Amino acid sequence: MNRTIAPETSTVTHIDFQSPEIDTLANKVKVFAMRKTTDETVRVDFVFDAGSLKTSKIIAQLTGELLFSGSADKTSDEIEESIDRLGGFTGVEISTEKATISAIGLREHIVSIAKTVVDAMINVNFNPKEINQLLQSKKKKMAISLEKVSTQARRAFLSDLFSNSPYGDLTHLEDYDKIDQKDLIEFHKEKYLKGLQYISIVGAINEEGLDAIKALGNQFSKDEVTKIDYDYSYTPNNIHVEKEQALQTAIRVGRVLFNKQHEDFIKFSVVNTILGGYFGSRLMSSIREDKGYTYGIGSGVAQLKETGYFFISTEVGKEFKDLTLEAIKEEITLLQTEEVSENELSLVKNYIIGQILEQSDGAQAMMDRFISVETYGLNFSYYDQFIKEVNEITPKEVKELAVLYLNWEDFTVVSAG
Amino acid sequence: MVEFERFELDNGLRVIFHKDVSTPMAVVNTLYDVGARDESPERTGFAHLFEHLMFGGSINIPNFDGPLQEAGGSNNAFTSNDITNYYDVVPVQNLETALWLESDRMLSLAFTEKSLEVQRSVVIEEFKQRYLNQPYGDLWLEFRPLAYKVHPYRWATIGKNIEHIQEATMEEVKDFFNTHYHPGNAILCIAGNLELDEVKRLVQKWYGDIPSREKKVRKLPQEPKQNEFRTKTIERDVPSDVYTYGFKMAGKGQEGYYEADLISDVLGRGKSSRLYKRLKKELELVTDINAYVMGSTDTGLLMISIHPSDGATLAQIEEELWKILDELKINLIEKKELEKIINKVKTTKAFSEQGVLNKSIALAMNELLDDANLINTETDFYEKVTVEGIQKYANEILQKTNCTQLIIKAKKNDE
Repeated sequence: MNRTIAPETSTVTHIDFQSPEIDTLANKVKVFAMRKTTDETVRVDFVFDAGSLKTSKIIAQLTGELLFSGSADKTSDEIEESIDRLGGFTGVEISTEKATISAIGLREHIVSIAKTVVDAMINVNFNPKEINQLLQSKKKKMAISLEKVSTQARRAFLSDLFSNSPYGDLTHLEDYDKIDQKDLIEFHKEKYLKGLQYISIVGAINEEGLDAIKALGNQFSKDEVTKIDYDYSYTPNNIHVEKEQALQTAIRVGRVLFNKQHEDFIKFSVVNTILGGYFGSRLMSSIREDKGYTYGIGSGVAQLKETGYFFISTEVGKEFKDLTLEAIKEEITLLQTEEVSENELSLVKNYIIGQILEQSDGAQAMMDRFISVETYGLNFSYYDQFIKEVNEITPKEVKELAVLYLNWEDFTVVSAG
Repeated sequence: MVEFERFELDNGLRVIFHKDVSTPMAVVNTLYDVGARDESPERTGFAHLFEHLMFGGSINIPNFDGPLQEAGGSNNAFTSNDITNYYDVVPVQNLETALWLESDRMLSLAFTEKSLEVQRSVVIEEFKQRYLNQPYGDLWLEFRPLAYKVHPYRWATIGKNIEHIQEATMEEVKDFFNTHYHPGNAILCIAGNLELDEVKRLVQKWYGDIPSREKKVRKLPQEPKQNEFRTKTIERDVPSDVYTYGFKMAGKGQEGYYEADLISDVLGRGKSSRLYKRLKKELELVTDINAYVMGSTDTGLLMISIHPSDGATLAQIEEELWKILDELKINLIEKKELEKIINKVKTTKAFSEQGVLNKSIALAMNELLDDANLINTETDFYEKVTVEGIQKYANEILQKTNCTQLIIKAKKNDE
């Protein structure tokens, strides 16, 4: 046997996407369910129009985290105890765009867990003592996080890129001292009680269970999501945040770009992957594997509802900061001036399609894929288009897109350390 | 129920196969029975540095990642104090690519100076990024040598210090490979929509001719029973104090382990746990508190981590902390409370076994520990724990003389 010869491989040509069951409740709330699973786990997500875009970052975050903090007839301890007794977990995830409140547990208990979760969410009374306890704990966590150069760089980067829209909003430590209970109550009333957007269910619950979850959904109402047009123009800047004792410097480089609604999104994803989107990327090969300046470096396109941004992110030894920026610049120039080889491009294509296959593996993953197109008004045919465009892209197009979207003059460059 | 088959090659390689018809991916998980505990005290961090070198090309294949990515796959690895684990996830039709790559690096590495030099720098940057340049990042670098005096758990997987990594030589790298990287010291787990006969044929094809070497008998100095309260206070440039407590307990799967795990849940897992309710919600002495166990193979630790509230004193916190700990020793917990935490254990376990990769890693780790089938029977061990058992084990471990304490104090900036 000759071990230097690689075994034959075959390319993934087709991915079998399975759509969830879709139902619309009387209040127009959509319910998505993936019930063909083989284990006992169930996860129910209630998704609200309660992201930080609709208020300030801190109000959105606090309102979400206080949902289980008690009502007129139940203390937070009692709520937590009744969920724990059922072996249940809750999840609260607040992004700019939405708030996802999850009930998680085994099939036999999930309806009871979800009932407790919804009851707590609807009747929460924002008890001042609970507010204060959360504030103290969050303030401490934030003070710790602010010590990290990665946090400092990320904050400076986002607030610079989105200086004209709430995407650039930052919470400051002093903000925790200015919280008014009324703001939380008002936000809860507008964006939770009237703001349920959809429910997603992953797990093998029966009809009866599904009906029970739907009945819970009907306890909320759904207002139209108001769309606000923000100004996404920005001026590229060079920013340095000094931290004298730091051993490493965090670097963020990037620009406002687009999300998957843009015609160049898919092909640009290929360009991004080549540059910094996987372990074998050019940035990793040069800055980690060749030069050893960092433990890791990567790039990506972050998608927001109305726009998106491109970023390169790394933490490097303090002495390597300038060398790293030079090396990044070099890799970008190379992409803009020399066509990528067919070998490298074919590797990246196979890798990207293999990743879609992996990211669609399992019911929860499939639901995530579904939501990630549904959110943008698209459907699963998007992935067929994705695979097609990835397969079709040529070295010439890669170069052209790099020239179009990766100009150093368009980048905001942030360092912290 | 996770079903699996088991077979062994003549060279000693143990193989687990799990058939999963629901996934288009296949997993090749390779666990080597070597971790930071197998390092020399003069050359710590070596097992982890070595993990990095495993990606630097093998004897017949110059680049590990490229061919795997070309096959639509991805991979990663992790090192703990006990083991080193490598995994590849590929579209099932390209399984053989992963076997080709993994078997070649089990056969022999390329051992290039360039790879060693670069990975030394990469690991040093990792050391800085994760342990030195983060608030409280050096907590474990300080805690381990305080809690362990003899056992190699006294150093962290990243190593005691950067110098140990800087000084690693090629000779030592080769020696480490020869000692620990061979069929008899590995467990291979393959999972996916595959047939046993095909898996056997492919494993025999790629691994069958790898020479066997003798498995090194592990003779680690075991940590003697702790008979004193150990405490250390350090000052760091951090925003607030952190108190950390560790109580010695049984290693994973040994007598008392499941009791200790449940004790940590009663104390400090989640918002209905005793410490959280009393110290945080009722008394507001802490802004965060939690308890957990380290699932290490040899003598482990039950940990309690505390972020004190501004103005709360260590004495106040300790008084309440010990009251809660003593309560567990004096009174039986109610059956209802035990049922509650066992229910949470069951849910956690069900979710942690989702996906073919998680199952493969769990099968291999359980096989090393004792028996891959633990993946199916582990819950029974938790269900067998009694309220009397909890009380008894609480009395055994929740003693001051079995406790190690690290106080990290925030440096006061007076300017």
